[in-house]
Amino acid sequence: MTAARVARPARAFASSALRAQAVPTEKPVLEKTFKIYRWNPDEPDKKPTLQSYTIDLNQCGPMVLDALIKIKNEVDPTLTFRRSCREGICGSCAMNINGQNTLACLCRIDRDTKESKIYPLPHMYVVKDLVPDLTLFYKQYKSIEPYLKNDNPPADREFLQSPEDRRKLDGMYECILCACCSTSCPSYWWNQDEYLGPATLMAAYRWMADSRDAYKAQRKEKLQNEMSLYRCHTIFNCARTCPKGLNPAAAIAKIKLELAAE
Amino acid sequence: MSLALAARSATNQRIAATFARRALAPRFARGAADTAYVPGGPVYKGTVNDPTTFPPPNKTHGSYHWAFERLLSAGLVPLTVAAFATSGSNYAMLDGILGVSLVMHSHIGFDALLVDYLHPRKFPLLGPVLTWTLRATTVGVLVGVYQFNTQDIGLTELIAKVWHA
Repeated sequence: MTAARVARPARAFASSALRAQAVPTEKPVLEKTFKIYRWNPDEPDKKPTLQSYTIDLNQCGPMVLDALIKIKNEVDPTLTFRRSCREGICGSCAMNINGQNTLACLCRIDRDTKESKIYPLPHMYVVKDLVPDLTLFYKQYKSIEPYLKNDNPPADREFLQSPEDRRKLDGMYECILCACCSTSCPSYWWNQDEYLGPATLMAAYRWMADSRDAYKAQRKEKLQNEMSLYRCHTIFNCARTCPKGLNPAAAIAKIKLELAAE
Repeated sequence: MSLALAARSATNQRIAATFARRALAPRFARGAADTAYVPGGPVYKGTVNDPTTFPPPNKTHGSYHWAFERLLSAGLVPLTVAAFATSGSNYAMLDGILGVSLVMHSHIGFDALLVDYLHPRKFPLLGPVLTWTLRATTVGVLVGVYQFNTQDIGLTELIAKVWHA
């Protein structure tokens, strides 16, 4: 009697034969087509084309970068793109997805059956497939001297900065230089050899706004010409496209105001 | 002997192929010193590790130009309202200021267009020609507006007339 009573709860927890053999529920196949820009520098005579890849979204991660990696792993290993951190902090996977410059790792796949188009960043020289040539972009970033310049550092300690002064850098220091904003700017498309572009200008203002920097006047004087800064016509594509939610247009407006006020 | 010949011809072929590729893609073969703009290729000044350079600083092309343009644009708003509220023949000065500032405003606008799309560095012939055409046109229009304001009914009256017609 007692033995039977003890056995009953144990039996209630025992898994049935069916549950022991349970298999994960089969997800339905949800096919999605990606049309991806392809160009191979080894075949310079062939024009760039859009190549279609169809994958099952239910066997893929949620982001466009997951889809690209899945395509590269399982369908076409020749597909070329940059990627690194897969969490929106390195800026490697910047590309044009459905007409919007963004980071593939931060861009969710639309779970509808419409096809998705992926291009490299617009109006840049293409190295291969989705890899743009960012040499000029980096050269421009280097030209604004993106580092602290101060000939009289405090002798015995580090630089001190008030919380208010530190707060001026918020919204600028987060920039990861993915080039989404610069390559979305029509002014940068037409004049990128002379115009610095929103990313570089915001970086320039980040150092102008820094209370520890002693070279503000020199930094400002560099921009006193027709091309470097004033090709910005407040189009605001930069603020709209920034995958980090920053506002380069506001930084450029502040530079213009400070230059006009001095 | 034949082996050496074959090897040599293979080398020649490789050299020829390299040469052909260079001819197809001149942007890679171009020397660093050559800074002329070439349509269809990035031409970097200096090596990839050199920063880009800035034009010589000039406030007339920089902040003064920008501030003047903005103040002019902002000033045109009350000026236009004032011109609508008054009559041109009674306030000849207002008519004159409106004429000059409107022409300057459009000159700056067209000039920005030329700098954006037809800059002399990319269009060594067309750029300067159009810049000077714009300057000549602006001067011509200024003279015309002056004549019209002094000899005829003036800008404000004209717009009022067209408005009512």
